[in-house]
Amino acid sequence: MTVVGRTWDRLTIPGKILAVVIPLGAALTAGLAILIAVVGGAVVQFLADNLPLVRFVVAATIVLLMTIPSAFLIIYMEMKVIALMNLRYGPDRVGPFGSALSVVHGLKVLMKEDFTPTGADVPVFTMAPVVVYMSSVLSLLVLPFAPGLFGQDFNIGLLYFFAMGGLTVVGLLMAGWSSFNKYSLLGGLRSAAQIVSYEIPLTLSVVGVILLAGTMSLNQIVLGQAGSLFDWYLWRQPLAFVVFFIAVTAEANRTPFDLTEADSEIVAGFATEYSGMRFGFFFFAEYVNVFIASGLTVALFLGGWNAPFNWPWPVTVGLDPGGLGIGLLLLLAIGPPLAIVVLGLPFYLLNSRIRFWQALVIGFVLFNVVAVGAVLGLAFLSFDWVVGLLWFMGKTYAFVFTFVWMRGTLPRVRIDQLMGFAWKWLLPAALLNLFVTALAILVLKR
Amino acid sequence: MTGIWYIVGFGVAGVSFVFLTIGAAWLISHRNRGDAHKGLPYESGIDTFGDTHGRFGLSFYIYALLFVAFDIEVIFIYLWAIVFRSLLLGGFVSMLLFVGILLLGLAYAWRKGVLTWR
Repeated sequence: MTVVGRTWDRLTIPGKILAVVIPLGAALTAGLAILIAVVGGAVVQFLADNLPLVRFVVAATIVLLMTIPSAFLIIYMEMKVIALMNLRYGPDRVGPFGSALSVVHGLKVLMKEDFTPTGADVPVFTMAPVVVYMSSVLSLLVLPFAPGLFGQDFNIGLLYFFAMGGLTVVGLLMAGWSSFNKYSLLGGLRSAAQIVSYEIPLTLSVVGVILLAGTMSLNQIVLGQAGSLFDWYLWRQPLAFVVFFIAVTAEANRTPFDLTEADSEIVAGFATEYSGMRFGFFFFAEYVNVFIASGLTVALFLGGWNAPFNWPWPVTVGLDPGGLGIGLLLLLAIGPPLAIVVLGLPFYLLNSRIRFWQALVIGFVLFNVVAVGAVLGLAFLSFDWVVGLLWFMGKTYAFVFTFVWMRGTLPRVRIDQLMGFAWKWLLPAALLNLFVTALAILVLKR
Repeated sequence: MTGIWYIVGFGVAGVSFVFLTIGAAWLISHRNRGDAHKGLPYESGIDTFGDTHGRFGLSFYIYALLFVAFDIEVIFIYLWAIVFRSLLLGGFVSMLLFVGILLLGLAYAWRKGVLTWR
């Protein structure tokens, strides 16, 4: 024992770490190998027999975990875009162009003290952010990202979506009530009144889309918009689009309808008494909501994953190398060196400290990256779900940008204007749209 | 593994994700009970007075009532919208009547000044 102890004391810290890690790693590897040898076949057989279960686990993991990077990305977009609109620099220290700052924010919230005030109703106080977060993540389940790439395709998808989105109100009321704070209670009731009022025009405005598509399945609605730019429901439902976009902005508590939070007026609304990660989940949910609101707008009115023009996807690369003859030889011989020189030349010209051979090395590396990227890209683009995902994400983030843009531009509305607008303007407009659409279907018979 | 089980399983997964994160935060964050003042409700630095769960304006309540009326209407309209192509004129007229009756309620609320926030 003493011999071991003395040897241990003589080791330096890296030595100690290695002396622990190497035997541990070896034991783990051996154990894993034995485990795979013993039960591996049974596990593979079980998974093969229960493919729906596997699909569920994969879908749940992806949908749950994709909220984290998208929230970080939207937070970063918000900081940077608004800063640029205000002629500020915005985040520029952590990571390239400050892009890691939102991750730092996330870690900071994770490490903050999570305090429960005296007098708070502890179980309700803890469950409120969970309800708010779950209501947004559960509605992510039916959002169609690409052909064959969605959590689950329900035939009542849209109804399910609004039902789950409506649970936010419960969470906000729970937060407001359980905090034992007058500001929280008022903020919670205010946001409940706002969300509940805008729920009506929101749900009524999509009836026109359901009438046109004849189904509530979001997948079928997107499929119904296949074709070119002009097959999107945006052109047949312009009024519904406007009503829907305004209502969805209010639902997601974004400026100009962010009276729920209104940081400069009512203390912080329902979140006054929250701190740490429970506070974090409210705002996590808010940014996930922005993504979901954009995604739903895209799926309903802007064709979802469909490309805006008829494009012969998937791409078929029909190149016959033999047909080029001597040209192929020239291409293979001259193409790479030329590309290396062209890619490396800017570095040589722009930075006087880089010698020519170093520029050539940079060019060679870049050329390889570009070539591999082009080949892989072509291979991937021939899968239609990759193309669909690209189009969907592109349109969705264009809408996220619009939300951020509105926050940078528009002032906050007053609460009486807010409520009056929902009931006196948006609701009649949505009903009008409903009847005009129905009448058009009746008359045009299509 | 379809329909309702997807939702249930997904809900369980999501709730456990949230609680795992909150638990991890609880483990690594610093905790301090502080003194009696720390747990007081935040009311802009003034000591709290009066009943917290007291009475509030009725306008919240009326909006909730209106919401219930119209939200149930929306469910009917959704079902109607799906089968509209087989109902045609009859469906159109009956929905016009249905929404008309509800709009009478909205007009009444409007006339009474309920829709104006006070």
